[in-house]
Amino acid sequence: MDPRSESQLIENRRQFFGRSTTGIGSLALASLLNPQLLTGAAPSMPSGIPRLPAFAAKAKRVIYLLQSGAPSQMELFDYKPTLKALHGKPLPESVREGQRLTGMTARQKTFPIVNPPFAFKQHGKSGTWISDLLPHLSKVADDLCIVKSMHTEAINHDPAITFFQTGNQQPGRPSIGSWFSYGLGSENEDLPAFVVLLSKNSFYQAQPIYSRLWGSGFLPSNHQGVKLRSQGDPVLYLNDPAGNDPNGRRKSLDALAELNRIREREIGDPEIRTRIAAYEMAYRMQTSVPELADLSTESESTFKLYGEEAKIPGTHAANCLMARRLAERNVRFIQVFHRGWDHHSNLAKHIPVLSKETDQGTAALITDLKQRGLLDDTLVIWGGEFGRTVYSQGGIGNYGRDHHPRCFSVFFAGGGVKGGMSYGSTDDFCYNIAENPVHVHDFHATILHQMGVNHEKLTYRFQGRDYRLTDVHGNVVKGILA
Amino acid sequence: MMLLKITKSILLHRVSLFAAALAVLSPSLSRDLFSDDLLQFNRDIRPILSNNCFECHGFDPNKREAGLRLDTANGAIAELDSGDGRAIVPGRPNESKLISRILSHDSDEQMPPADSGKSKLTPKEIKTLQTWILQGAKYERHWSFVAPKSSPQPKVRNTKWARNKIDYFVLERLEKENLDPSPAADRRTLIRRVALDVTGLPPTPSEIKRYLDDDTSDAYQRMVDRYLSSPRYGEHLARYWLDLARYADTSGYQYDRERTMWVWRDWVINAYNQNMPFNQFTIEQLAGDLLPDAQPQQILATGFNRNHPITIEGGVIDEEYRTEYVMDRVVTTSTVWMGLTTGCARCHDHKFDPISQKEFYSLFAFFNQVPERGLNGFTPNQKIASPLAEIQSAESLAEIENVKQKLTEWKAFIAEPNEVESEKWATSIANSKARGWEVLQPAQMSSSGGSRLEKQADHSIVAGGANPQKDIYEISAQTDQTEITAIRLQCLTHPSLPGGGPGRHSNSNFVLSEFELVAQSVVDPQKKQTIRFSKATADYSQNGYNIANTIDGNIANNNGWAVDGPTRKQPVTALFYASQPFGFQGGTRLQFRLRHEATFATHGIGRLRLSCTVDDPASIESGGIPASIRTIAAKAKEIRTPAEIKQLAASYQTVLDARKKSLEAELAQVIAANSTAYPATMVMQELPKPRTTHVLKLGQYDRKGEVVLADVPQVLLPMSETAPANRLGLARWLTDPKHPLTARVAVNRHWQRLFGTGLVKTAEDFGMQGEWPSHPELLDSLAVHFSSSGWNVKALQRLILNSATYRQSVKVSTMLLEKDPENRLLARGPRFRLDAEQIRDQALAVSGLLVEKLGGPSVYPYQPAGLWLELNNRPGYSRAYAASKGNGLYRRSMYTFWKRTVLSPMLTTFDAPGREFCTVRRSKTNTPLQALLLLQGKQYVEASRNLAERILTRGGESFESRIRFGFELATARMITEKESAIFARVYHERLAYFQKNVSAAESLLKIGDSPSNIELDIFEHAAWTEVSRLILNLDETVTKG
Repeated sequence: MDPRSESQLIENRRQFFGRSTTGIGSLALASLLNPQLLTGAAPSMPSGIPRLPAFAAKAKRVIYLLQSGAPSQMELFDYKPTLKALHGKPLPESVREGQRLTGMTARQKTFPIVNPPFAFKQHGKSGTWISDLLPHLSKVADDLCIVKSMHTEAINHDPAITFFQTGNQQPGRPSIGSWFSYGLGSENEDLPAFVVLLSKNSFYQAQPIYSRLWGSGFLPSNHQGVKLRSQGDPVLYLNDPAGNDPNGRRKSLDALAELNRIREREIGDPEIRTRIAAYEMAYRMQTSVPELADLSTESESTFKLYGEEAKIPGTHAANCLMARRLAERNVRFIQVFHRGWDHHSNLAKHIPVLSKETDQGTAALITDLKQRGLLDDTLVIWGGEFGRTVYSQGGIGNYGRDHHPRCFSVFFAGGGVKGGMSYGSTDDFCYNIAENPVHVHDFHATILHQMGVNHEKLTYRFQGRDYRLTDVHGNVVKGILA
Repeated sequence: MMLLKITKSILLHRVSLFAAALAVLSPSLSRDLFSDDLLQFNRDIRPILSNNCFECHGFDPNKREAGLRLDTANGAIAELDSGDGRAIVPGRPNESKLISRILSHDSDEQMPPADSGKSKLTPKEIKTLQTWILQGAKYERHWSFVAPKSSPQPKVRNTKWARNKIDYFVLERLEKENLDPSPAADRRTLIRRVALDVTGLPPTPSEIKRYLDDDTSDAYQRMVDRYLSSPRYGEHLARYWLDLARYADTSGYQYDRERTMWVWRDWVINAYNQNMPFNQFTIEQLAGDLLPDAQPQQILATGFNRNHPITIEGGVIDEEYRTEYVMDRVVTTSTVWMGLTTGCARCHDHKFDPISQKEFYSLFAFFNQVPERGLNGFTPNQKIASPLAEIQSAESLAEIENVKQKLTEWKAFIAEPNEVESEKWATSIANSKARGWEVLQPAQMSSSGGSRLEKQADHSIVAGGANPQKDIYEISAQTDQTEITAIRLQCLTHPSLPGGGPGRHSNSNFVLSEFELVAQSVVDPQKKQTIRFSKATADYSQNGYNIANTIDGNIANNNGWAVDGPTRKQPVTALFYASQPFGFQGGTRLQFRLRHEATFATHGIGRLRLSCTVDDPASIESGGIPASIRTIAAKAKEIRTPAEIKQLAASYQTVLDARKKSLEAELAQVIAANSTAYPATMVMQELPKPRTTHVLKLGQYDRKGEVVLADVPQVLLPMSETAPANRLGLARWLTDPKHPLTARVAVNRHWQRLFGTGLVKTAEDFGMQGEWPSHPELLDSLAVHFSSSGWNVKALQRLILNSATYRQSVKVSTMLLEKDPENRLLARGPRFRLDAEQIRDQALAVSGLLVEKLGGPSVYPYQPAGLWLELNNRPGYSRAYAASKGNGLYRRSMYTFWKRTVLSPMLTTFDAPGREFCTVRRSKTNTPLQALLLLQGKQYVEASRNLAERILTRGGESFESRIRFGFELATARMITEKESAIFARVYHERLAYFQKNVSAAESLLKIGDSPSNIELDIFEHAAWTEVSRLILNLDETVTKG
């Protein structure tokens, strides 16, 4: 680690902690000397109010529901009545403007437009158009801010999803959640700042994902996302081996700490103390994580809200419920990955399945956060890595749609973003952006902004350069802020 | 300050305890640590200017504001464009605009500008700049761009401490700071430190005893040498190299499927164990294939630059990814050998270092010549045996030796011109019955798919017109030959073909499914004979598409011959040998059928020519000697014209070379045949015709700018004029002892490995943004020593390991900790957490589970179920992790299957990198997840059970003797009574617990695949397993001290 950036970081953190540095310092010191002092104490750390940038955080945490594979915007959010008349007709060359295509449709001769066979209706006071495929989300339409003018640079899954997660198409940069862990730290003594939930997928051709998407790149590796798993131990190696009992565990840990302290007195290396603290935190996690992962305490009305599927670990609904529990515990960045939206053929058959898998849990999460008073300071994000083409890949029979980076829809809810609005628009062909384009860098800048961080200020020195999540780009999308 | 230090630590701890960084926090190595009065530009000034000013007033002319550059003296003292004075007036800080603008409170004036994202300079930085200007504002060339010089041994007051030259430099500095070095550590501490540093494994009790019992004066040196000569040394050192080389067992990107590069990994282990000089190590890995008479092992070494990730994602644009691979090679090579962040110049001129974008692409040109693709770019590759392979059988070895011998003799023979021999040869060809090839004149041609086949003047046939999915060419020709032994098929290129190669597909490949021939008598057309071929050879076959497939009667599953059209684009020649000579008296009509029936569309041969011969199959050559040469040879020597003599000599040389080539091919074949177990390793290769390299605007593959030629960055050292402008030239340039960076960067990484931090802390960046070395004269003297020692890697380490500096105790006082928290002054020994691999290997070693075997395919130790499939379960592109059975569970961690997208949690939890790119420094974190792994991971619980068994069977009878034995295994230290008592408390408590809970003891002892010793008392065994878990979790155990 570069000492300069490290000392800068300490500076930053002082600023994050504001005037109460001394208080926290001594409290923390006490917890190190006797870690049990803080066990069970409410996580009441002051939230990040950095002096530089001079604005207050609207959101304290992010829940990002990443829809891997790229959902089709035409079928779900970007209502285009104009397509009805164009159905089956080729996309005019004037619209396509010779834009580059993936290797899958580059040799296709014609590009027949497909009108989605699913109805749209207006919902809520806002009259937001949402597809009938999403009946539950339709009910929270007034909480959604649908950005219809997202665009990206990549046209294939790996670079595109890496771009969304790290701000760069090639591997090597820190993921968005790890930036938050690094910059804002954890507000919870017993849980990491960045937690990842993977939902099980049903679509046989689902695109893979990879640990780099929650990796720490060049940041210290303790900032990488920690997976909360739905099979086996919820956190790897969390459970005691067979034949152990909690009483013995405590006694062994005490003995270990005692031995380590002897060594510390002998050698004088303060790092030993940090290790003792890490073991204590591991011990606390053995209580806090199972308690977190245990959904049996949830009420029947909650399961009614999220759907019966939420009782099955690893479903999108269960992960949405888990995300709420993590948000309640002030985990800073919570990310759910749901795979299976990559419909190159038979889209009309597959997209209802994916919609059904995700619709109720997502809507329930928003409703649930709202009724618990958490939506105001929790930024919920839903979206894929790019959009899909208005024309069919192959014939329009069992039509599919190819990758489309030039326009697609994502939505935000809560966290200081305006509900019941749409931002940006696409042309009549849903091929190009008509107004208010939002680039991936802008998307990142906006999320950081809502968390009280100026995207130009959160930097890390690596190989002599101060890196940012937004590289040298990005503008906060002011038009969606409440 | 001690308290402040802790507070900082706690800040980190509180902010993200997941996060509590092990790295000790400290202010940068600032001027505080230097007592000189005279400021030095490189040390004191450049970091301030580079960090705050160069981005807009530096090397990059495109981003230069107001025409001002502050990275050169001339730029800084020049009249400002504004006419408003000068940025720097030497000796007069008050007249220097640099200072007044920095001090200004006017937002239009203030530097750095408020919107630059840079903070204001600190008062101390401003004072430093003022003092420097007052002292005359002397500029210096960036220190690391000037070749290192050895400094004389510094004078020191304490004349007793130093053991070698290193210590004088360290001590001189300590004396300036009024610090004393620490006393030497005790022998037990030292042997553990050395064993872990040199072999990656802890010392065994017998190794400890041997060292303790050695009372000669050089006992320590001999102990060091014993470890340096262990084969474990090569494994351990290779492991660091693999991080740099981004070695992995999968190809990365989204599907991350398996690849086989482990034979290359074995090469690295072997190179370290052979103590290969670092210059040779460099040249072979960067350009082994370009060495004269490159040997298979030298070609294997070039796998280094094929370790980058490769995509198989269907829709990608080929050139986009091929470009990324080349980028990766430039960035990795620059980082590893020069500590330069050249990647910054991909999109624009470097902001800090004098490397222009054009120079970046000149470096790019060296690596841009590989015949490869972006999508599925797994060629070129070659089956080469691991250098670590056990010698297979005396017989195969003898076979290899035999061919080698022939080759050596032949090379010696052709090295000297020999007129007698050449005349003999001329006579022999003049008298030869060999007739060479008769080119067949096509009579009729047809295409089943409707292609237009057109005869050319040279009797070749060019295919054009419709380009059908599948195509069968029927070609007939007539000959008077009767004893035809073989047919030659030449596949040639033609301007009308789309891809530049011999195939019709746009990528210029073809797939010939089957080659068939029927001979028909001209005299009696009823007489027909289907010709059977006994053998087919080709001068090139694509991997998996061998020429032999064209005569096997099988066309299913795309069985056929292909020639790597997309990358190779060369003519190819195939020979088909008849099982019996054929041909009818009175003339033969040859009816050929060339079947293209693979599922790859439009993969027909684009231009072909057929010939036949009656020569003895043993003497057939695809080229053969032209008739004109035979005529010259038949003339008497005296009457040949000078031109004829020249032609004849050239022809003779061709024959000699052909023999050499064929012997080389035979050798390769024999070796390959004896190493069938070795998979193909990706290697480097040059395109026959260089690819043109352009500057890529904004670093984008499709935005080509001006054309550049391969060259090196001018600021460092010009390339020798006689050096080839290829990778070999580059590698030789890097290993030129005059090169300012190579030796420094290499030496610094060894220092980092042993002391935790390099003399230059930013081991990956020796440029202007890199850190000033803590001991510049020491670094330079070591660098000079290293290159002038013949780049002797072991000798370099021996020197460091034998220094008094390295041997110091790690005990640290509050005062010293406060003054030098990171131990940059080296007033104490190195102490830091072991790497992931060492922690696991140590647990396996002390428990007796470790299986030692050098090299071979990677293995699959335990990991929790489902980790692979939860990220990728696409049929055909994924599989479940299948743990090894038996030995594979207990091999050293460097052999663990390295899956980039889902690294083994045993590695990644302790900061091992995914190796998607080159890593120079690993993080050293301290997290609760590590505690969970070490306490609860199956591998570690099993190791604890085995350690317990070892303690119970070999540690004596009493508790005290047992804990002493177990503790020594892990820490090499004798346990104290106090410590022993703490373990005893746990032991007795656990023993009582298990005695009451039989099933708990039984289930604990069942963890892990290794058998449990049933002769032991299960309660004792279980209780000792718990004690052993504590031993393996001690801070002391997981730390080098």
